Amino acid sequence: MEVPLHDVDVLVPKDVTEVLRLLSSRRGFKLLAGGTDLLVQLRSGAVPKSDLIDISGLRELRYVKRSNGHIAIGALTTFSEIAESEIVKRYAPILAEAAETIGSVQIMNKGTIGGNIINASPAADSLPPLYVLDAELKLISLNGTRIMGISDFYKGYKMLEIRPGELLAEVKLRAMGAGEVGHFFKHGLRQGDAISVVNGAVILDLDGDKVRNAAIALGAVAPTVVRAPEAEKVLKGKKLREDVMWEASRAVLKSISPIDDVRGSAAYRREMSVNYLYMTLWRLAKEVGAV
Amino acid sequence: MIKPTTMSRRIEKEFRFFLNGKAMTVRAPPCHTLLEILRYELRMTGTKEGCARGDCGECTVLLNGEPVHSCLTVMTQVEGKNVTTIEGIDPEHRLVRSFVEAGAVQCGHCTPGLIISSYALLLKRPRPTEEEVKEAIRGNLCRCTGYSKIVKAVLSAAGV
Amino acid sequence: MSSMASYVGAPVVRRDAFEKATGTANYASDLFPDGFLWVSVLRSRYPHALIKGIDARRARSHPGVVAVLTHEDVPVNRFGVFAKDRPVLCDDKVRYIGDPVALVAAETREAALEAVKLIDVDYEPLPAVTDPIAALRADSPRVHESGNICRQTSLRFGDVEEAFARADIVVEGTYTTGTQIHAFLETEAGISYLDEKGRIVVVAGGQSPHRDRAEIAHALNVPAEQVRVITPYVGGAFGGKDDVTVQIHLALVTAKTGRPARLVLSREESMISGTKRHPAIIKMRTAASRDGRLLANEVEIIYDTGAYAALGPAVLDVAIENCNGPYRVSSARIDAYLVYTNNMVASAFRGFGAPQVMFAMERQVDRIARRIGIDPIELRMINAIRKGDIYVFGNKMEGSVGIYECLKVAMDHPIWRDRRKDGTLEYPWLRRGVGVAAGMKGYTIGALPDRGSVSVELKRDGSVVVGGSFTEIGQGVVESVAQLAAELLKVPVERVQVLFADTERSPDTSVTSASRQLFLAGNALRKAVVALTERVKDLVELETGGRPTSVTFTEKGVLVNSNEVMPLNELAERLELRGFGRMVIGTYEVPKVEPIAGTLEIPHLFFMFGVTMAEVIVNVLTGTVTVPRVVAVIDAGRVINPINFTGQIEGAVVQGLGYALIEEAKIVGGYLQTKDLSTYLIPSSKDAPTIEVIPVETFEEEGPFGAKGIGEVGILSVAPAIVNAVAEACGVEPTSIPLTPEKLYWLLKEGGLVDRLRGNEGRIG
Repeated sequence: MEVPLHDVDVLVPKDVTEVLRLLSSRRGFKLLAGGTDLLVQLRSGAVPKSDLIDISGLRELRYVKRSNGHIAIGALTTFSEIAESEIVKRYAPILAEAAETIGSVQIMNKGTIGGNIINASPAADSLPPLYVLDAELKLISLNGTRIMGISDFYKGYKMLEIRPGELLAEVKLRAMGAGEVGHFFKHGLRQGDAISVVNGAVILDLDGDKVRNAAIALGAVAPTVVRAPEAEKVLKGKKLREDVMWEASRAVLKSISPIDDVRGSAAYRREMSVNYLYMTLWRLAKEVGAV
Repeated sequence: MIKPTTMSRRIEKEFRFFLNGKAMTVRAPPCHTLLEILRYELRMTGTKEGCARGDCGECTVLLNGEPVHSCLTVMTQVEGKNVTTIEGIDPEHRLVRSFVEAGAVQCGHCTPGLIISSYALLLKRPRPTEEEVKEAIRGNLCRCTGYSKIVKAVLSAAGV
Repeated sequence: MSSMASYVGAPVVRRDAFEKATGTANYASDLFPDGFLWVSVLRSRYPHALIKGIDARRARSHPGVVAVLTHEDVPVNRFGVFAKDRPVLCDDKVRYIGDPVALVAAETREAALEAVKLIDVDYEPLPAVTDPIAALRADSPRVHESGNICRQTSLRFGDVEEAFARADIVVEGTYTTGTQIHAFLETEAGISYLDEKGRIVVVAGGQSPHRDRAEIAHALNVPAEQVRVITPYVGGAFGGKDDVTVQIHLALVTAKTGRPARLVLSREESMISGTKRHPAIIKMRTAASRDGRLLANEVEIIYDTGAYAALGPAVLDVAIENCNGPYRVSSARIDAYLVYTNNMVASAFRGFGAPQVMFAMERQVDRIARRIGIDPIELRMINAIRKGDIYVFGNKMEGSVGIYECLKVAMDHPIWRDRRKDGTLEYPWLRRGVGVAAGMKGYTIGALPDRGSVSVELKRDGSVVVGGSFTEIGQGVVESVAQLAAELLKVPVERVQVLFADTERSPDTSVTSASRQLFLAGNALRKAVVALTERVKDLVELETGGRPTSVTFTEKGVLVNSNEVMPLNELAERLELRGFGRMVIGTYEVPKVEPIAGTLEIPHLFFMFGVTMAEVIVNVLTGTVTVPRVVAVIDAGRVINPINFTGQIEGAVVQGLGYALIEEAKIVGGYLQTKDLSTYLIPSSKDAPTIEVIPVETFEEEGPFGAKGIGEVGILSVAPAIVNAVAEACGVEPTSIPLTPEKLYWLLKEGGLVDRLRGNEGRIG
């Protein structure tokens, strides 16, 4: 049953300082960025009603920049902007791939990377690329700034390492190097937009067909997005051969703990984690001429 | 003993924006959506509601030229912006004509949203490929046509 | 079109398209009558529970609330077309989670939404039965006092035992099909108000204004004349608005308050409370000879109708009638059950019971073809019924029967001819296959009484107004009727106005379902033109003393006795002047035969046929099936409007694709888990295949200009064609739709296909 929102106030601060001041002076506000998840959750009653601080208009948190080998993305940058950003396409193409499949054009135009991070769905498509690109989150408050690795930010299902008064301002990623190739993958239940049953991102640092280093992250298979260190270890130092790719893919099972839900069973998610990792490795191997 | 209930307090604020090129001022609850304002307050019913949660694309409007769900856009996000609804599209526009002529309209409930999405596509890519059309309208569900004639209509409007 | 060559077969652009494309067309959900009340519905929290009491005092005292209505406010609290088993507002108990318990009418939307939550219902939950097989057991919880069998039919034709005894091949299977949700883009919606005469007017999305009026009048216990139902443009229906949805609730609010009311269901409400396609369990044992003749079919059909019968009894008949496919099966034993459960209510959905059995039978036929080693199309051609054949129920196929011709076209089509040609696929885990399936279904409502009327009025300016209660649910019937009128009266189609779906102003053309409206309205229109011809003769006879021998409509006007031409404006004037009236009504009754004992509507006299071929790509490592290409060969009778025709078929193909692969309503213990369009997925533009529609234009002698029904035929054989293609691609035999990625994946894994790719046959991955 729909929850009417006629009694919800929405404050519109004019800059980040005002947001921080509001956040420190009063509890119980929720931040509204794109609103693509929050409004649905409020109207369905999934999230209790509270007044909102609409930060979607803060242009100062909407940018993609390069700075000494890193990419800095303002928290309110939309997925359309990320998908179209030349910087992202060149230095973090796996994030551009994820941004393009995050939802419809309409969702891409409103949904923000910061919103996706804070909403903390384990199936969020932007997260696996952030995990393999060693993303650091910049949390600001009147008390100062904290920088935190993305995997430290999620303590459990929808549990965030964020303090009252803090605002996620920026995401900083490492740029992919010259020898690095990678792909984002997602398994949805239709060809058009669909929430992922399993998603993930793979980066391989290659020397010819030999893997110098691998970074693998999977989503929707644990309370938070997870890295797959065992699978990464299998690949490290090996050539991209069929048996190696399967061995690495199977090793991913050690890192995941999926559950049954409306989109798929835990057993199917385990299978899909293995198979998607294999398919992604195979595609990368093919692209570099290894198979 | 029945406890008397009280109506929750309706909050209203004033919002200014441009609707189809015309300056507008409306008083509305700030967390009400543009879709609610268009349909319930302004009775501009060309923009349809299909799901009210961003899944179907029926309520698509242009916000500063970009297609968004009006059901997921609250009034504070509309303040000061340009909104284009189906009523703001020239009835003589080639997209309207090609949708009509190609048979892309059946029950027609999804059509306004589709025309808005296609309009935005053609602004960005005047000569899109079939794949690009399908991508651009992937968030606009249609239950009648099977999409074939819709894709043809957009391509034909683009002269492709 | 000034040459007037012919409107029949012409790609006339439909008149409603422009207003729909510019957003000016009004649907029921776009109406806001002055001073209206917002209506909200309180629905059951449980799939099955007794109602011990309803306390609406808090809700009634909520600011802004004008009325809270419960069963005590409903004069006759049961409705339904085939069984009056459905409460307008639940009284003794609730039988599914969408069951309506109370209505709130309030001055504001917020008040209506808030007050619904303030109604206290004292429920005593009962054990729910949600598995139709469990529901058939004697010790099952009872959904209705009368028991859980809503309808049961057992039929025997020919010597089944003998046929199985001499059969070379027997194929057996148990098939299950899912609960498909209509997911029309406009949810159930309407408004109501009192007109100047104090009558209740309901303007709502629907498929049958006159029948809805009867249901409203029955529930309110008022004469039908006290109620007017208008159906404006409907934002999709597909059978989901065939039953009453919001109409009685609206009428009740207006009757109780005297105020206009508006009720538009939310998407979630629509998903939960709306009717569905019957989920089915179908067991089939089919016998065939080595040379490919189908000898016998033993069928058990179980359809879960959910909490109420709705149109289920007729749906079951359609399942029975079509479960042997378009084939000369010489004997059949059919046991069919329509079962009450505490699931959501199932009723009409495009195909009306046929797609489920078609899935089962067409899977059987394909498996038989594989066993024999014969081309599946050839097998179907060997058995295809022809016009004049006696079908297995003993009924003669007298209408047009184009299935053989469709199969022939299919056989010669490149998609079939080249189906085994090696195309290189991008990845080693992909497999390609092409599948075929045939479909049939009767149109019109068979052995049930089926008639309809259409009015034709000549305006003084020489234009024409055609009236009928057919509803414009997207299919384009308004334009097609206008085209037929233009053709019959030889006037430009722009000069034909169509007044549709208003019980006050348009005669009863009965239900817009069963692919019947073009056939019904078209034939009634022909009768009206005959009546008009007679009236012209009466006029001339009165004016001249001599009755003309011939009256023909020509482009210049009515040609009397092949000498005098009377333009239509002049004819209208003269008819009026002489007191004849300018309006005639034509009534057409569908020819029918006696129903087979134990059935309601079997047999039909008129059938639609079609063949679907689908190309699929299967990802063995995920179970995902994509469908790049579909060819639909349709026995279309004569095509009246090729744009509308292909539009119907293309839409049905994609709906069928959703049914086959994507659309999965997950229901656990009677609770729907997929309550929105992000969990109940319907096909998007990226899921839709390239579709080629090939009409095979047989001629339906009884149809208007040879036309026949086409609204449902496009969906009938889509699911089996796709699944047969998967079987061809992968060598597995799926028996259940929707064939979701997960479902198919486990089959592929069981079949060893996954391990083969993993290079570890016999090892668990």
